[in-house]
Amino acid sequence: MSDAQQVGGIDRRWVYLLVAVGALLPVLIPMGLPILTTPAVEALFQRVESFGPQDVLMLSFDYGPSSAPELDPMADAILRHCFTRGVRVVVLALFPLGGPNMAQGSLDRVTGEFSVEEGRDFVYLGYKDGAQAVMRRMAEDISAAFPRDHRGIPLKEIPLMQEVRGYPQIGVAVSLATGILGEYWANLVNAQFGQTVAVGATAVSAPKYYTYLKAGQMIGLLGGLKGAAEYEELLASAYPELRDRARVARRGMDVQSIVHLIIIVFILLGNVFYVLSRSERTRAGGRLGPR
Amino acid sequence: MDLVSAWVAAFLTLAIYSFLYKDNPLYRFAESLFVGLSLGYEIGIVLHRTIIPNLFQKLAADPGRNWYLVIGGVLGIMLYLRYVQRVSFLGRWALAVYMGYFVGVELMQRLHGDVLPQVKDTMLPLLPLSLASVQNLLVLVGVLSVLVYFYFSRPHTGILRPVSRLGIWFIMVCFGASFGYTVMARISLLVGRLTFLVDDWVRPTLAAILG
Repeated sequence: MSDAQQVGGIDRRWVYLLVAVGALLPVLIPMGLPILTTPAVEALFQRVESFGPQDVLMLSFDYGPSSAPELDPMADAILRHCFTRGVRVVVLALFPLGGPNMAQGSLDRVTGEFSVEEGRDFVYLGYKDGAQAVMRRMAEDISAAFPRDHRGIPLKEIPLMQEVRGYPQIGVAVSLATGILGEYWANLVNAQFGQTVAVGATAVSAPKYYTYLKAGQMIGLLGGLKGAAEYEELLASAYPELRDRARVARRGMDVQSIVHLIIIVFILLGNVFYVLSRSERTRAGGRLGPR
Repeated sequence: MDLVSAWVAAFLTLAIYSFLYKDNPLYRFAESLFVGLSLGYEIGIVLHRTIIPNLFQKLAADPGRNWYLVIGGVLGIMLYLRYVQRVSFLGRWALAVYMGYFVGVELMQRLHGDVLPQVKDTMLPLLPLSLASVQNLLVLVGVLSVLVYFYFSRPHTGILRPVSRLGIWFIMVCFGASFGYTVMARISLLVGRLTFLVDDWVRPTLAAILG
């Protein structure tokens, strides 16, 4: 076996180890690499910026723990943005496998930082099964889909929900989604009911949402941890007092940058060694192509 | 998160990651535990947040007004009759109702919310010439060439051959973007676990030991 083949055939566990070390270092020692923002994220941020205490944002937790590292920072940043501006929030969960816990966890983390009152400044409706049916029902009457909030209090007794009957009273509906649920907000809630929609998607799903964004079916898109980091960056720039709190995703992007560099180096090295070993085989009179 | 929970979660995290070295009993234990817990969680949440409040409690509260809910409940039970050989055909009836409903809902939703807006978004102005019109032309060429690639009723010869080849290039660019995003997603999950291990496990443990 030639030198090139030997190096190219390195045990993949060495690659894992290098990625682990590259990922761990920025977690231990944050580097604060710059975050560049994109129009898709700025659009949602600016929409929330234009809101005031009379406006309501709907935040749907359509993901579970497996997507939490990407979507939790988005949820926290959006909630902080709303509460800082006095925008009221209607929270719900449509993803069965952990959605309710994700919503409760985010509210627990953020509401303690602000002097907000449940029922007046925000409402958590809880979880309801049957995503599309729930979305349709909410267009007619939110209380028909969620007769009570997560504490069991009837919606008609909650001050905020006395003003919010359905989509017409919602300024923008933001879905933090894994899988197909985010699509329903665009191709059902926006297309059929004209509700302004934005989606925070896992990075795996993000490419498909660009078609909805470009077609005007969504006003904003936060794609994966990068989207969350961009929103945190915009929030920290506009509200410096939140800089230390809105940093989970920005810190994660340090890791992304280092690990992506490692991956790029390995892709380049892999191709170089492939070409070298191929040319060695050609010189030795062997057949072309990988063995 | 209290320290005991953090230790349990850290143990399970490391057990899962131990697969990267090689398959082992700890990994299989953590994997099986995850599958079992996920299934139990989902059953519990659907039972307590949907079936009990939306079916049983409503029927108990006002059976005269909510009688129609029995239909849904019976159809749901019928789905499980597929496991009883003598009456398994009843499971197909319930499935047929479910499919009919879902196809009806989904068909209109896809047509109205996906096909029409996306077709409309490809009908873009190509004149007057500008950077925007060049982008619009790129979108148009991309859509048409990819559609030609997926046209299988004629062999890709003659003019169809270069156009379908161009379509492959557009598809490859799309796959590349998707793969890049997928890598980012997987690294994000690693970030989440490492952050947990450092912030919620190692640091509190050291703090507890060192006082």
